[in-house]
Amino acid sequence: MDLNSIKNYIDDRPADGVFRVHKDVYSDPQLFELEMKYIFERTWSFLGHESQLPKPHDWIATHIGRVPVLVARDGKGRVGAFLNACRHKGARLTRTEAGNRKFHVCPYHGWAYGSDGRNVDVKDKKEGRYTAAFDDDSHDLIPIARLSAYKGLLFGSLSADVPELTDFLGELRFFIDLAMEQGEHGMEFVPGRIEYAYDANWKLQLDNGTDAYHLTSTHTSFLDVMAKRAMGEGNQEARQFDWQKRFSQEGGDFQFANGHTCIWLNQAEVLKRPIYPGIDAIRQRVGPERADWMLKMRNMSVFPNMQIADSTSLLVRTFRPLAVDRTEMRYWCMAPVGEPPAQRAWRLRQFEDFFNVSGLATPDDTVTYETCQAGFAADSLDWLQGHCRGTSAVAPGPSELAKSLGFAPVASLQGGFSVQSETSFQPVYREWARLMQAGISGSKAYG
Amino acid sequence: MVDALNRADRRALLEAGQETLALEAAFLDEQRWDEWLALFATDCEYWVPTWVAEERLADNHQSQLSQIYYSSRAGLEDRIARIRTGKSPASVPLRRTTHMVSNVVLLDGAPGQQMNLRSSWTSHVFDPNSKKIYVLFGYANHTLRHSASGWLIGRKKTIVQNDYLPTMVDVYCI
Repeated sequence: MDLNSIKNYIDDRPADGVFRVHKDVYSDPQLFELEMKYIFERTWSFLGHESQLPKPHDWIATHIGRVPVLVARDGKGRVGAFLNACRHKGARLTRTEAGNRKFHVCPYHGWAYGSDGRNVDVKDKKEGRYTAAFDDDSHDLIPIARLSAYKGLLFGSLSADVPELTDFLGELRFFIDLAMEQGEHGMEFVPGRIEYAYDANWKLQLDNGTDAYHLTSTHTSFLDVMAKRAMGEGNQEARQFDWQKRFSQEGGDFQFANGHTCIWLNQAEVLKRPIYPGIDAIRQRVGPERADWMLKMRNMSVFPNMQIADSTSLLVRTFRPLAVDRTEMRYWCMAPVGEPPAQRAWRLRQFEDFFNVSGLATPDDTVTYETCQAGFAADSLDWLQGHCRGTSAVAPGPSELAKSLGFAPVASLQGGFSVQSETSFQPVYREWARLMQAGISGSKAYG
Repeated sequence: MVDALNRADRRALLEAGQETLALEAAFLDEQRWDEWLALFATDCEYWVPTWVAEERLADNHQSQLSQIYYSSRAGLEDRIARIRTGKSPASVPLRRTTHMVSNVVLLDGAPGQQMNLRSSWTSHVFDPNSKKIYVLFGYANHTLRHSASGWLIGRKKTIVQNDYLPTMVDVYCI
């Protein structure tokens, strides 16, 4: 395959009704290195939620791709983001993932930085017989090029050549809002770390989050347990849904610009949603239509590597690329601030039942990604056939439903559950191809 | 209080406790699921807390996320039912485990009635599909209650020290 025509790794011919992805996209180490340069270093990445930094001098340590990033709130309450590397010998400044520090002092030679990233001390500078040229370089932490927030979600970019965050998120904001506005006083990440790694490509998780087709084959064991639950047996505390009811529901996909995508399905048992007890107040606040949409199942991917899934509880997760065949997963349970304790516990039990590295469903996905990666070792396996189901049901632009709700997706699909469309992947790989080709050709990522 | 017990009672409780923990490990390693479940009281509490920070465990399962939390044995029964369907990709073929349970300390107890134990554990796991071997380790707190059918686990809290987890973890891996 010719790297100079990298866009050819995605066989996108709408006139012929074809959309195929080459398996090398998931398995070629050269492509992986290019992804780090041309995607992760040239677009917005999710950094965290403002609730992780409530007070002045709070900080979190995270990554954009493989680049370590320090996000800190300064003494005046402003949030900044910097390369998490001391200017002296490059040591990462933090040894834990979060904390509160007025000054970040490097454990190596003691250079110190304020929570605003400015260098406040070069240890024993006066006695150091530096040349004048030493101060030609700024000793402050290097800020990342762009930092912005939307509804409490923090995003950063290593490149300044990105659209405004609101433009980058675009019309997906309709769905982001349906998650971030569930709490009258905002949303927060529930304490408790869920972190694991799997031996397969990051885009397998990216796909799986908006994959309706795998439910009845990967999760049959989960469905069998749910069938027992529907008869009143088993762990009723999880208040799990009767999944049989899903199969008669209406749902669909919405495709967005910049690689974002979302699938949705009507929820037959809205009473089991943890926000349901407070739904009247939510209706008053956001309107009845949007409140109803908050009760539906909505899974979205925020390109490149973050997902917000609202099905069995509300989660935010990232899938950080470590190598072409290794990915680090991080899950957060997101909940309304001030949620009554009984609802919080309900939400947690529902979340733990399905998700988590130890849940009844997610492990079957994760193991299957590794199974795919094992299959990719077949060198002569070329075009995958898993990104086209539903294509003949996609209509460009907003559907009547989208128009009535007031957002403008790039394409829409609607139908019964059984369609189990794969078209949610198409905007993702179109954007993948665009960014990779721009990088290879030496063009700007945007505009 | 352990100090209030006489030596014979202490030894009897500790022996019974060690045997129960050893049986729990044996049943998991040999995939004797029904016998493993039968060790738990139906109203048992089974908790695997998360870490909320590098050096701090979660301490409230009602307000903090857990790896696993069940307030009855039903949750464990569901997991065994899922394994037994034979349809869970994560559970076919089943990983092989060996649990080593040691450092059992009797915290307190009432002879013939109940006891609280603290123990250390390691679990070596081999996945015959991927050929990967990994170790999970930590410590546990058990509350055992005596019943007509012998000592039962009324409460188990499992702390996983290495919570950067490998692909998937199920109850028989910890």
